[in-house]
Amino acid sequence: MELDALEARITELRGEIRLAKAGGDDDAKVRRLRAELRTAERAWDDALDRGSEPDDAPPLLPIREQVHQALTLLGAPSASRVIVAVNDAFFAGRVAATQLTSLRRDEERSFRSSPYARPYYLCAALTAELLSPARGLLAISTWPVAVRIIGPLSPRTDFLTSAIRVAEHMTRLTGAGGSASSGAYRLLTRMARNIPGAVEGFGRADPARVVGAANAELVVHQENDRRDRHAAAERATTRLDEVTRLFGAGLRSASAS
Amino acid sequence: MNSPNHRLDALRGGVAPVDHNARTIAALAGNPGCDRRAVLDAAGIHKQSIAVHLGHPAPFGQSPFALDRARAFEELVKADGCAHLVRLLRETLGLSVPEVAYTDIADVGGNTAHQLRHTRTLAELRRAAEDGERSGTLFDHPLLKLPVAGHEVYLEPSVIAFQIRGRFHIVEIKSFAVIDGTADSGQVAAASRLSAVYVYALKALFRAEGIDPDRVSHEVVLVCPKDFANHPTATLLDVRQQLASLNRQLSRLTRIDRILDHLPPELTFSLEQSPAELARAIRTVEARYAPECLSACEMAYFCRADARVCGSVDVLGRATRDELGGLESIDAVLDLTAGDRLTSPEQAEIADQLRYVRAVYREHASAGAEAVA
Amino acid sequence: MVFIPLKLAGEAAAPLGAMVGTDPAEPHLLVVPQPRNRDLRFAFMSELAQIMLPYIEGFATAKETVSGRNERERYLDAPQVIVPGRRGVEFVRLLGRSTRFRRSDGPYPVDPSVPVLGQWLTFLYERGELAGSSALLAMTDALSLHWATGQSPMEDANLATLLAWISPPPGLTGQEAAAAAENPIDRPPAGPDTDPGFDAQVLQPAIRAYDASGSPALVRQALRTQLEPTWRLMWEAVDLMRALPEAASVAERWAIDRDQYTREVTRLAEGGPPRGRRDQAGPAAIRLWDMEGAQQSYDAQRAYDDPLVMTEHRAAGKAFTGEAVHVDADRKILLPGGKKPVPRPLVTVRTSDPVRLTPGKRVFSVHRRRQSGEIVEIDGDLIVVQLNDQLAKGAGVPTPGDAVCFTELDLGGRIRPGFPTGEETPWTHGGPPAAYVPTDEDAVEAWS
Repeated sequence: MELDALEARITELRGEIRLAKAGGDDDAKVRRLRAELRTAERAWDDALDRGSEPDDAPPLLPIREQVHQALTLLGAPSASRVIVAVNDAFFAGRVAATQLTSLRRDEERSFRSSPYARPYYLCAALTAELLSPARGLLAISTWPVAVRIIGPLSPRTDFLTSAIRVAEHMTRLTGAGGSASSGAYRLLTRMARNIPGAVEGFGRADPARVVGAANAELVVHQENDRRDRHAAAERATTRLDEVTRLFGAGLRSASAS
Repeated sequence: MNSPNHRLDALRGGVAPVDHNARTIAALAGNPGCDRRAVLDAAGIHKQSIAVHLGHPAPFGQSPFALDRARAFEELVKADGCAHLVRLLRETLGLSVPEVAYTDIADVGGNTAHQLRHTRTLAELRRAAEDGERSGTLFDHPLLKLPVAGHEVYLEPSVIAFQIRGRFHIVEIKSFAVIDGTADSGQVAAASRLSAVYVYALKALFRAEGIDPDRVSHEVVLVCPKDFANHPTATLLDVRQQLASLNRQLSRLTRIDRILDHLPPELTFSLEQSPAELARAIRTVEARYAPECLSACEMAYFCRADARVCGSVDVLGRATRDELGGLESIDAVLDLTAGDRLTSPEQAEIADQLRYVRAVYREHASAGAEAVA
Repeated sequence: MVFIPLKLAGEAAAPLGAMVGTDPAEPHLLVVPQPRNRDLRFAFMSELAQIMLPYIEGFATAKETVSGRNERERYLDAPQVIVPGRRGVEFVRLLGRSTRFRRSDGPYPVDPSVPVLGQWLTFLYERGELAGSSALLAMTDALSLHWATGQSPMEDANLATLLAWISPPPGLTGQEAAAAAENPIDRPPAGPDTDPGFDAQVLQPAIRAYDASGSPALVRQALRTQLEPTWRLMWEAVDLMRALPEAASVAERWAIDRDQYTREVTRLAEGGPPRGRRDQAGPAAIRLWDMEGAQQSYDAQRAYDDPLVMTEHRAAGKAFTGEAVHVDADRKILLPGGKKPVPRPLVTVRTSDPVRLTPGKRVFSVHRRRQSGEIVEIDGDLIVVQLNDQLAKGAGVPTPGDAVCFTELDLGGRIRPGFPTGEETPWTHGGPPAAYVPTDEDAVEAWS
């Protein structure tokens, strides 16, 4: 009963706000209506929540450890979307992409206040040219610097490497008498579709075949990619301090050095 | 002292010009005959503010759902080092396996300033053009620059310029579906116009850099979702026709001074004036209204109201206007039909037809309503 | 049945909701509280099927027997679905396309009614493509056939402004009423696209509330505000259309709709497969021929039925009206190869119409349908027509002083030529095609 009345009021208020905005009414009126709307929406939420139990059991592992686990499996700097997908397919699946947005900054803060206090940090991948943080990628501080460098060919080689690692992990799981989840097969199949010869038609990808196909293409790029990455890694080791080596150089510090 | 730029600043009334983007530049080519739109756009005037002030706001806007969908699809296509895109380019254009190098120019060392990104874009493209395939295939978030009506406009395409065997292409990612091989023609046309702007800008940039502009292909790679799923598919679009019309319209804009010469020197479109004064000022620049403007130009509702008041045949749509063969006002049509107006020789044919139709309609009107099915 | 579907902006065919029903007082409101959820979409389609299928299949009861060369049974009535505009028609096609291949078993099963509805929506859409069919109508098109407004065809595609022009509220001119009806807040768009302002300020929070609470109430409420005004307009328009007298050829055209409906009922009862994604060369050629034929007959019928429509053809010189000033009713000529002279009366017509036909041209009499003749001579405002058929026992010949009308428009009924069968498809058209077999892939195609 109460919910119905509140819903009617909410709809009415939204209509009034639209009318007021379209009619060019003064801001004060729009603000007043908005405040009223917020009150009504809160009342609606409260009415709904009454009696319903919160369902948020704490995750088994802290977020950073779950991300570490996923990155270790992938073996290359990865975007949060991929980390979430791997976590869903192989682990607890309690990481949401929104939780990763501030992770790198938090890790950097922690490192700056007491360097190397933790066994590892979730840090940045570095662009080969300017050694600045590569957008949207997460890496692990204990990896060799060259692995964390992103040259022109690296997005492709890292993608192929990750596909191989995912496939190998599935082979390990099935070899140990376990089985990979259907989510894992979906993830692998999705990756395999974009690798020539890795999967046929609309069927499910076969891990061994994915490894073969990805390796075949990887060979083509590997040498050039390795050269780019090592050259940049050398520069990073000699020119960057310990913070920027992990979290990347801004444009000023890179050009000043 | 009376340079076109100076005049245009005065028209704007002291406020900063609005930025053009590919969409507004593409829209310019939509109604090339309209002086009003040409002047307002050249001066970088915020047309929606003018329309609101005049009491004729245009109901433009994009749904948050459409924006979300567009963003999500673009992310998907570009995910994993553009893995989907690499597959599509290998399938449709025969991109070779080693050509996978990817360069993101969304920022330069964390700095997103336009000038920096543009300089970097120039440097990357130049190197790619000179060194060949080895030094770059995909360029994400390149920032182009195009002079429009004396102003430098940055074009921030959500697209990728890529080179294959020495030719550069524009990739346009759109979230409308291609179902069983066909897509909504209106949306394909809009995508062609938009990507033509990028092709145009890229060619202009090459020309300015002393690189052969023919190395930019007039074929654009359009990437859309296939059927009802999210799976990307690619099609080649030939945008030569859109390039030609864009070329014509942009060169018209650079000759904007010819229109300006006919305007009173003290003219301004400043919002400081009353709506009536502003309307008078706007009317000194002639418009060419057509119903299609309603979906393309913020000024359309004002222009339509004017066209209706003047009894212009334009409000009836292009088909009717063309059938009326050169008669401009509805009153003129009615007068001609009733025979109250002298007929010039070139109007003889249309006048005969109108009078004939009128006679037949009268016949039926007098026969009564029962004749009408 | 009035059907007003809405779709989620930015998606190809994600239904958001619909108002549907056959009684203006009893609209059914269906909603998809989270349009990105595929299960909820199919739940919507199955709900829609609960309403549409009983209506569509409900006409398969009383039959008549049609005698003649092609004797057959035919249901006495057939379904008719009306959507607000052409984009609604297109959306019906997409809904049909996205559901007709589904299966009720195997991976991603759906309710068994969903693929059946998909087949019917596809049938309605394909019928609607043929001129003169009333199986699936866009209301704005139907109204525009009968009323002219002072706005452009583009603006006529908006149901609210079109109706405002046709029947403005008291005290307003059509133009004023149409301007008022352009406000998306009072007159929400008739769909399937929704107003972006509504999406941002009303729908998005309502969908979020559903995600948080599982209660679809806010989404229902929101969509009701968008659909109800259009629902009322649709029935207002239905009343306007019903008040018009029925044209002479309507029964003939509706009979074709009934024939096709009867065939589809039989086909589906026999387990007919869904139409493939694309037509094969043979059926496509036949369909094109049928569409041209239907268009030709329909144009002619409209002109024969409605003198004002005929006016347009008269103005263009393709028809003429006048008085029979001289009739040579007893004229007989010997046809080439004939043995006996046959009657070929001559009618001389005086007309003030700007005729652009030439001697030798085949013409038809509007007053005696299907009687054909040919123009023998044109001299100023006098035109001599020789009548060629329907002359049994001296009937069918006008007398001097009669008003007559002749036109080159052919009512049609032309016989479809023999098209190659599937196995005979020439190599230029890809050779004999593989028969369409519904595939598993079609059945589980993603709809995301």
